[in-house]
Amino acid sequence: MRKSTARIIFGITVLVFAVAFLFPLGLVVGKGFFTPDGTLTFEYLIGVFRNPIYVEGLLNSLRLALGTTFLATLLSLPLAWLSNRYDFAGKKWVNALVLVPMILPPFVGAIGFQQILGQYGALNALLGTDIDWLGQGRWFGVILLQSLALYPIMYLNVAASLANIDHAMDEAAENMGATGWAKFRRITLPLMTPGMFAGGTIVFIWSFTELGTPLIMNYTRCASVQVYDALKEIGGNPFPFALVFVMLSVSVILYAVSKFLFGGKAYAMQGKAATTFTTERKTGWRGFLTLLPFLLVISLALLPHLGVILTSFTAPGGWYQSVLPQSVTTGNYSEALGHEMTVSSIRNSLTFSTLAVLFNLVFGISIAFVVVRSTIRGRAILDGLAMLPLAVPGLVMASGYLAFSSMLSNTAWVKSSDTLHSLFDVKTNPTLFLVMAYGIRRLPYMVRSAVAGLQQTSAGLEEAAANLGAKPLVSLKRVTLPLITANLIAGALLAFSFSMLEVSDSLMLAQRQDYYPITKTIYELFQLIGTGKYLASALGVWAMMFLAVTIVGSSLLLGKKMGALFRV
Amino acid sequence: MAVSVEIKDLVKTFGETRAVDHITLTIEPGELFFLLGPSGCGKTTLLRCIAGFHQPESGSIHMGDQDVTRLPPHQRDTGMVFQSYALWPHMTVAQNVAFGLEMRKVGKAETAKRVKEALAMVKMTDRADYKPNQLSGGQQQRVALARALVIHPKCLLLDEPLSNLDAKLRLEMRTEIRRICKEAGLTAIYVTHDQKEALSVADRLAVLNGGVIEQCGTPQDVYLKPKTVFAAGFIGETNFMNGTVKKISGERMIISTPEAEWESIHGLAQFKEGDEVTLSLRPETLHLGDASPGQPNVVGGVVHDTVYLGEVAQHQIRIGGDSGRNLKVFDLNPRILARDGEQAASIWVDAQDVVILPRGNA
Repeated sequence: MRKSTARIIFGITVLVFAVAFLFPLGLVVGKGFFTPDGTLTFEYLIGVFRNPIYVEGLLNSLRLALGTTFLATLLSLPLAWLSNRYDFAGKKWVNALVLVPMILPPFVGAIGFQQILGQYGALNALLGTDIDWLGQGRWFGVILLQSLALYPIMYLNVAASLANIDHAMDEAAENMGATGWAKFRRITLPLMTPGMFAGGTIVFIWSFTELGTPLIMNYTRCASVQVYDALKEIGGNPFPFALVFVMLSVSVILYAVSKFLFGGKAYAMQGKAATTFTTERKTGWRGFLTLLPFLLVISLALLPHLGVILTSFTAPGGWYQSVLPQSVTTGNYSEALGHEMTVSSIRNSLTFSTLAVLFNLVFGISIAFVVVRSTIRGRAILDGLAMLPLAVPGLVMASGYLAFSSMLSNTAWVKSSDTLHSLFDVKTNPTLFLVMAYGIRRLPYMVRSAVAGLQQTSAGLEEAAANLGAKPLVSLKRVTLPLITANLIAGALLAFSFSMLEVSDSLMLAQRQDYYPITKTIYELFQLIGTGKYLASALGVWAMMFLAVTIVGSSLLLGKKMGALFRV
Repeated sequence: MAVSVEIKDLVKTFGETRAVDHITLTIEPGELFFLLGPSGCGKTTLLRCIAGFHQPESGSIHMGDQDVTRLPPHQRDTGMVFQSYALWPHMTVAQNVAFGLEMRKVGKAETAKRVKEALAMVKMTDRADYKPNQLSGGQQQRVALARALVIHPKCLLLDEPLSNLDAKLRLEMRTEIRRICKEAGLTAIYVTHDQKEALSVADRLAVLNGGVIEQCGTPQDVYLKPKTVFAAGFIGETNFMNGTVKKISGERMIISTPEAEWESIHGLAQFKEGDEVTLSLRPETLHLGDASPGQPNVVGGVVHDTVYLGEVAQHQIRIGGDSGRNLKVFDLNPRILARDGEQAASIWVDAQDVVILPRGNA
């Protein structure tokens, strides 16, 4: 790649990042540190830590994040290890099924979860008890739901790092006299730590700032809900911004530590693997015993989905203190999908997500090209910059975009023009900011998958095209892009489905009903008295089906490389 | 410390293929033994059976007096050097080397001392605190060797240890490995497909093909007196010719091929008149030019092609006229070259260099 081209892409990318990412982020931080008349103050930050409610919220969020990360690791580690070591009947199926929880945002699952585990839910009806499973330890319910939804990220990372370990490493340990636990603790575990940390960081940041699940589970004493509520109330309150700054700091520090410790890369194995690793075949009841943990985790993880599906077919009020719904109907679907809010929200989500994916494709491919194929000095910075959105919670970004939007819409030249007003004011039309939010936050996945594709495609192939007279753009179109199509499609599908599922930005930025995306509509439907959760479930099932197709599609395309998408 | 390794009637199959097919082999204490063969011949499988990574279907493996056939790898006390080195990237050189001692619950002071000794033996003392990925291929190789040596194994196992090194380093390391094995008095089993490595380093070697041992003996034995067409062809270069035993008289035997008749002193007890055999003539045993009077095996031919390599000229000499065949002839320290066109030349070979083998596919 020509240096000048690389520099131009570098310049444009940095500019876009500055405007769409760093500036709004700066606004959030600024609002937490500057008084309305522009003097620097630490009062707000100190105020956050002096306010016992905020401190409690932060500690609770921390507890949610630690608990979720721990539980997700606990769920995924044994599965990844078993799948790496053994062959058994049904392995192919469970390997695909463990990823299924990703097709439903955990906050929708929460509805179904409550139907099953709530005080008047299915479990109590089955047992004849009236224990409030989620009431006392509601925070545990949130943790359970989040880890059941997020463990696939952990699983993919751990599985990928296990697959990368040269089997001879293991054999060398046995040869030196280590076996069983000693071998696992001293050799296997340290070698898969980078993968665990990479996955764990994403799970931690995600659950630390998750908004939808605590909202639906009515667990309001955590930082994310506090920020959401405070920002909804009044514009002038600076404390939520200071709180956002604290959350941002925790996320960025964790991300930096993870980057610093493991550099985003697994230990590069030396030489080529001498022994092709053959998995041990377990048959009969041994095979079933190996399969069993998968079945347990999968059925547990699909419990919320099952609850949502059942709820969606339940006539309002028809599932109360009973194991299964008492009266079944398809009416929820016709009502939910026929609701004017729904029709427009499906159209909106498709529009926002498609635009965001286009943004991702253009920038993802360009960035990947500069990072992999050019020799300019800033390419490592670009690589780091493109990964940075992983460290920034959606809630923080949403606050930033809100601040950005209110700043822009208050300027004179925006006020004077209707077009500009509808472009920059989220209260009028949130399209620009929602696309920006979806696009920036999903960019890392796109960059990762494009980089992976380019790294596997020898530069020699492009040189051969150039040698035969192809101009750079022609060789890109005719040689490179076709070779990395699978990666690009997979990355795009993931970016697309995550955009469709996006919660924090959607809840906060979409403020007019005709611009609601699906997730916000689900949340709004949920709040309808009486029929709320049934309609929300029906729309949730619709979204679930839609996303199942895209996720299964991308996992078929990427196969085992899927894990690479979720690396820090 | 050094023990013998006895393999009896060992069989290991993968699905339909029999990777090790009834192999019986005894390796003496302190011997540096090579398993040599093309890829897929079963040499690595045999080594991994000895290490315990493969469980044989039948047969037994003894180390010294102990039957280790059913023992798991970690109880066998073998030190293995892996083809990929398999150095643990999250540990330093010293930690890698100390690991085996740790597993054996050796005390701290003793461990430190032995790690130091082992690193000194492979000349890596100054790299003790490096991580494996900070080392060159040759250095990693040395560390892998130290890691295997430090536990004072009953038997050192080396799986194509030099295949990831460049040519120059390979030469250096193979003499180094021999020095270390001999200094430590170790029984060592070394797997390779590189015949030069085997010839130059081995005390004894076994040529494997299709899961069976074609021949076992000292390098000189196997080179000079191959027993099968495969063994003759795999080690060194040779010319094969199919023929029949025409006459056996006293200490000599006459074999006739379509091009000529050859006199040999080999295989007198093994063959009888009329047997179909294959002749093996090493290119360096074929001499170009006039033979002394009374010399048998003098054949007229034509120089067909010549490659000059400095210390040697490699000729293709056609014998048996236009419908005949080419023989490869190495002329050491060549003075006169027949480079231009075809030129008449006679070649001769000593009767003791005419090797007779059972008929096989060359």
